[in-house]
Amino acid sequence: MGSNENQLKKASQASLVSLLNLTFFPVISFILLLIIYNKTTTENIDRYYAVIGIKTNLIAAVALILVTALMILLGGFDSPWTWVYVISYFVFVHALFILFATWTMVRSWTGKKLTKSFLSK
Amino acid sequence: MKYESQGIAKLYFIAAIALFVGQILFGVTMGLQYVMGDFLFPEIPFNVARMVHTNLLIVWLLFGFMGSAYYLVPEEAERELYSPILAKVMFWIFLVAGALTILGYLLVPYARLAELTMNDLLPTMGREFLEQPTITKIGIVIVALAFVFNIGMTILQGRKTVINVVLLTGLVGLAVFFLFSFYNPHNLVLDKYFWWFVVHLWVEGVWELIMASLLAYVLIKVTGVDREVIEKWLYIIIAMALISGLVGTGHHFFWIGTADYWQWFGSIFSALEPIPFFMMTLFAFNVVNKRRRDHPNKAAVLWALGTAVMAFLGAGVWGFLHTLAPVNFYTHGTQITAAHGHMAFYGAYVMVVLTMISYSMPLMRGQKAANVNAQKHEIRSFWIMTLSMVAITLLLTGAGIMQVYLQRYSADPLPFMVVQDRLAHFYWAREVAGLAFLSGLFLYIYSFFAKGPEVADVE
Repeated sequence: MGSNENQLKKASQASLVSLLNLTFFPVISFILLLIIYNKTTTENIDRYYAVIGIKTNLIAAVALILVTALMILLGGFDSPWTWVYVISYFVFVHALFILFATWTMVRSWTGKKLTKSFLSK
Repeated sequence: MKYESQGIAKLYFIAAIALFVGQILFGVTMGLQYVMGDFLFPEIPFNVARMVHTNLLIVWLLFGFMGSAYYLVPEEAERELYSPILAKVMFWIFLVAGALTILGYLLVPYARLAELTMNDLLPTMGREFLEQPTITKIGIVIVALAFVFNIGMTILQGRKTVINVVLLTGLVGLAVFFLFSFYNPHNLVLDKYFWWFVVHLWVEGVWELIMASLLAYVLIKVTGVDREVIEKWLYIIIAMALISGLVGTGHHFFWIGTADYWQWFGSIFSALEPIPFFMMTLFAFNVVNKRRRDHPNKAAVLWALGTAVMAFLGAGVWGFLHTLAPVNFYTHGTQITAAHGHMAFYGAYVMVVLTMISYSMPLMRGQKAANVNAQKHEIRSFWIMTLSMVAITLLLTGAGIMQVYLQRYSADPLPFMVVQDRLAHFYWAREVAGLAFLSGLFLYIYSFFAKGPEVADVE
């Protein structure tokens, strides 16, 4: 397996575990993502996608912490407004994170970088 | 446009867009009636406006599917349509029957309409979404059979591709499942079964086949990706749609008087229903990423990607939100259902028809793609309509969650109408979003008339 093919494989794996961290296997997948990151080299496409995955998941985590804080501020589980924000957050904002991770995964399969994303900087 | 008979699609698309405008006008009217109960009463009562809103949606989508099939099938089958005359005759029959039915809803009390159309001879009226008089239903069957015959003969005598065979399967299913609307048993549980055999097996079954094939066709055309790649995706998507969607009908059987096991079957299989929509997103992203050319019709590419994303959100995510039986126990029939219905219909079916129109209309008008200004307007209208629909859905979701909490979950539940009063601010905001949607639709229509420089010929 050539180095480029190996990089593509790692880029694809990094994007996949990033998606899995946002969906079915949180935390464990993030640890795997960090392990993959550790195996990548600066300037390579696999490092690029590992970094995007880490940034996406960190932003999603911060957003989740904010939602939790709002939950407490809005009166906890006994306030209907809490549920309005929490459920709307998951079905819309978190779903957009999942869609973004899906897009990056598909993009990583082509071996190209994202064209317009502040996350890729 | 390779075949002259493809041009018949234009008639169908124009009718579809005109009826779409009617649907949204009644939607906006009804939205206002939520907060101003007497608005246009007694001329257009809420129940009539709702019936017209949903029936127009179904009819214009059928026009859209038929137009799409008439455009797609000759090109895929590599021959002219079997009978262009039949397609034209059926168009006028369907349009006149549809218009008379809507006028009937608006001008005659529903019970009187049932009498006038001799519903007592073969009672089929009175069920939500299937309110059409029996005579109209018979007309729909005739039109559908003639349409399937025409499309089927074209495919049988021409090239068979995965796309046109999947499309034909979906269209045959559409015609066959509509026949259940003629069976109207006295037993209410049985009645609900057969009602869902039409409604569910359409929108979460065979319509998904139609949607997937239309999307696949447009993506082949605008990206130049190998047919083989797209066909493999199509096989997997339709398999998943049918595996999850058919038994997933069970999520409608939770509370209609059926056995408890439907709560398990319905929950498990409908929890799988987001999978084909997620795969459609993956498929569209993947194909666009692998594109071999930058097609001059940017608007069509945007509509195609938008369809995949919005269908995943509306049908997949919002469907999953309230599909599990323990959750549905609280959410059944609330504004959460309305939120899901709006985004799912828009994302999956409205957008795929608009994708086909966006791709094919310029070709039928002798252009490769719409001119630069027209595309700018169309892309703006895409964003206005889509973001307005996101707003409508989020507001209805908020209203639904409040409704569930106040009416069904809290220790001291409030009566339905008291809760509705408390949701007024959500409904006002939804009305504003509905008006924004209408403005986006007008801009979309305007885009067909906008003049401007032609796009560069890339192909």
